[in-house]
Amino acid sequence: MPVPCRTGCGKNAMLKRPKTGDALCKDCFFWAFETEIHFTITKAELFKSGDSVAVAASGGKDSTVLAHVLKTLNQRFNYGLNLMLLSIDEGITGYRDDSLETVKQNRDDYEMPLKILSYKELYGWTMDEIVAQIGRKNNCTFCGVFRRQALDRGAAMLGVKCIATGHNADDIAETVLMNVLRGDIARLKRCTAITTGSEGTIPRVKPLKYTYEKEIVMYAHYKKLVYFSTECVFAPNAYRGHARALLKDMEKIRASCIMDIIYSGETMAVKEEVTLPSQRTCIRCNFVSSQEVCKACVLLEGLNKGLPKLGIGKSSKAKKMLEEYNAQQTNYKESLQAAAKELDDVQSKKELCLSDSKNCKSGLCKGKTKLNRNSSINSNDYTNSSNAKECCSNCSGSCERIKVNADVNNTKVNTLLEKYVINETNIAKVNGEGTLCNPSNSDDNLNNSDDEEHTHAEYIDTHIEQEDETCSASCGKLGSLNIGF
Amino acid sequence: MICKKCKNSGSVTVRKEHMYCDNCFMLNINHKFRSCIGKNKILSSNDNVLVCLTGGKSSTVLLDLIFNGLSQDSHKKLRMVPFFLHITGLGEKENDITVAELIIKQCQSYNFNVYIVNICEYYFQRNNTLPSVNSVTDVHNWTELNSNTNLKSILGKMTSTSSNDIEMKIKHDIFIRAAKQLKCDFIFTAETTTTLAVNLLSNLAIGRGSQVQDDIGFFDNRDENIKILRPMKDITEEELHHYIRIKNLIEISVDTIRGNSLQSVIKTFVTDLQENFPATVSTVCKTADKIGSVDKNTNRCKFCKSNLPEKSDKITAIDATIFSRTVSNGQPPIANRNTGAEEQEDIKMSLFPFIDNYFCYCCSKNYLEAGLHDSNFFEISGSKNL
Ligand SMILES: [Zn+2]
Ligand SMILES: [Zn+2]
Ligand SMILES: [Zn+2]
Ligand SMILES: [Zn+2]
Ligand SMILES: [Zn+2]
Repeated sequence: MPVPCRTGCGKNAMLKRPKTGDALCKDCFFWAFETEIHFTITKAELFKSGDSVAVAASGGKDSTVLAHVLKTLNQRFNYGLNLMLLSIDEGITGYRDDSLETVKQNRDDYEMPLKILSYKELYGWTMDEIVAQIGRKNNCTFCGVFRRQALDRGAAMLGVKCIATGHNADDIAETVLMNVLRGDIARLKRCTAITTGSEGTIPRVKPLKYTYEKEIVMYAHYKKLVYFSTECVFAPNAYRGHARALLKDMEKIRASCIMDIIYSGETMAVKEEVTLPSQRTCIRCNFVSSQEVCKACVLLEGLNKGLPKLGIGKSSKAKKMLEEYNAQQTNYKESLQAAAKELDDVQSKKELCLSDSKNCKSGLCKGKTKLNRNSSINSNDYTNSSNAKECCSNCSGSCERIKVNADVNNTKVNTLLEKYVINETNIAKVNGEGTLCNPSNSDDNLNNSDDEEHTHAEYIDTHIEQEDETCSASCGKLGSLNIGF
Repeated sequence: MICKKCKNSGSVTVRKEHMYCDNCFMLNINHKFRSCIGKNKILSSNDNVLVCLTGGKSSTVLLDLIFNGLSQDSHKKLRMVPFFLHITGLGEKENDITVAELIIKQCQSYNFNVYIVNICEYYFQRNNTLPSVNSVTDVHNWTELNSNTNLKSILGKMTSTSSNDIEMKIKHDIFIRAAKQLKCDFIFTAETTTTLAVNLLSNLAIGRGSQVQDDIGFFDNRDENIKILRPMKDITEEELHHYIRIKNLIEISVDTIRGNSLQSVIKTFVTDLQENFPATVSTVCKTADKIGSVDKNTNRCKFCKSNLPEKSDKITAIDATIFSRTVSNGQPPIANRNTGAEEQEDIKMSLFPFIDNYFCYCCSKNYLEAGLHDSNFFEISGSKNL
């Protein structure tokens, strides 16, 4: 029985919108999807005519759809924006190749200039060079810290007015929950803001703030957009993993909970008497930092002075190391060795993986679970991100972020379509359509990818510092460059 | 294993790592309870306090802690005059009676009296008359209530998530009204750290984020005169379990959260956290203490009495949701914005009835859902005069 499109366009509906449950035809779905984003952009006054806007492009579905829709709306409604794509290349052999290829495809498809900025250009070092300096143990710290600042540095180099990121409604709801779990009141306050950025910095905007991830996937599919899908086999971090698992379970019961959580975040405030860590700018590089000198600058200083472990431990330690370094320039070698040894001692105590071995998918953690498994993720006994390192130690080089093969990927789209597509004949067509980089058939193992994501996200007890200084930022999430929360 | 406080042999393990002897453990729980009341300095000497009981673990321990406090020597004595209340009438009748009888027995063992109140009778009545104490007999005639006041069947038709929420709000309303009746300026409820973590996440999930301060913090300040305090907020489920075992108390398991709801999913989640990452649960509660609200409007929601938001031009999830419906209806909303103003109001009414004027976000959604069934009980209850 054909269902008429709810808009009254006369055509038959072909899908049920995940967000509202309304039955729409394909064209009306496109129109609704795009018009909603237009509404968000205009109502929240995200852009001004004449602005240069960098779209943070990772090659994933969120940033691909964002670039496509911004391009479309810019033409349709004469925004007068100068749009460009901005990608970051960490300089890890083999790591970004596929996603950067996809971004280049975006560039050609949407006729947008693309700037790929490498860590080499931004920081003077590639990740490969850093790994060579520091070994594999601590490189996730560098990767995470540098990545968080890379977009800001890149945008400054491009001279743009703002950065548009692909964070969608699901991401934001998940982040609200995550920040509650880790008690991060400052981020809890910021994370639902549609525009973020303090004075003197380049603001970041989230045009997809109210867009459901499921609709993004469907839009990309029906528009046959090319995107690259990656997933990390590791949990992004314990808190995000918990939050994601919880949100998925809740969404099954009430789909509107994503919007409800965002509304909760929007109407919450931090009590006046609570003092938040002040956000300031780094005295060296002028980018946002909570300290006088930002972590990126400390790490760079370490690299440039041949003290690569500087900044990996506590900041008091870093200070001490620097002082020693400066005082004993003459005894350079000795002090370096002493400092390194000192750090090593501390590190080795910390580096036991806290993952519950039965849940850690890495296989690297087996036998490393000596530290008591019940020590909480909030325990302050183990500072820094070091605990996550075992899990991620070979993130760079051969990052565990696996390219989700097209089988699994198509499966995911198919599962979604099966649930929301009204006319069954449409499902049959899906397999042949070229939405993904390497589409191929997979009629069996439906649901496979969902389950997989579920289990690996759960209960991995890695301790992280306030900031996500793990590889999570790079390989944690489909699509969007996961920074800035 | 030895007690970490007194070095005698230990008998209680908390969070799988801290060892106490029975004595030190009980002192510690008493201390948590007393310091929670003491440090907030809200209660003054010999205030009347209405204590709300459920018969469950935390309620049982609260009752015992109060009794202990009252029977201490002079300078340690808990100075308050307690009144006790139990709300019944939403469960299976036989079970409700069993629970009520247990609570009466519990109270009488301490020489306390307790009011057993039927939720439907009390909620819809106008004169706030409390029944005689320690009696279950006259409170179970609710089956004769008409369909408009039979809360059990009304809530039964709604989603479990909304029912859970509405039940909690109705109970709070009854707490306040009974407290007025008994001239109590304070109410004690028995939420533990664990329960409050569940409530915080539930609040977020249903759009009550701005009400966290009142719903999860140490006290609920929504009523001008009567404050609801939560003196068990620093105690965990695990500690209750030990307390009950050590003192050999009798409790009855009362799980009021309906299944297949956001609250039940969250409860499972928090229970797992409690088991594996106990510090995260207390972090969640500490976060709650820092959360305030942007809703500073003095107008209050007619149902839950929370502050309503100020009018603002900032885009919110409400705007986005209304707009989603608008585009699904096929209206070209941007091109000729002004022509659709009336339709916009209709759409708003169809998604968030009476929001901002009478109801908060969540209550408006509940009202909508209730209205799909019988004559809306919101209209004949506390939120009359719509
Ligand atoms: Zn249509
Ligand atoms: Zn800096
Ligand atoms: Zn990594
Ligand atoms: Zn002891
Ligand atoms: Zn309300």
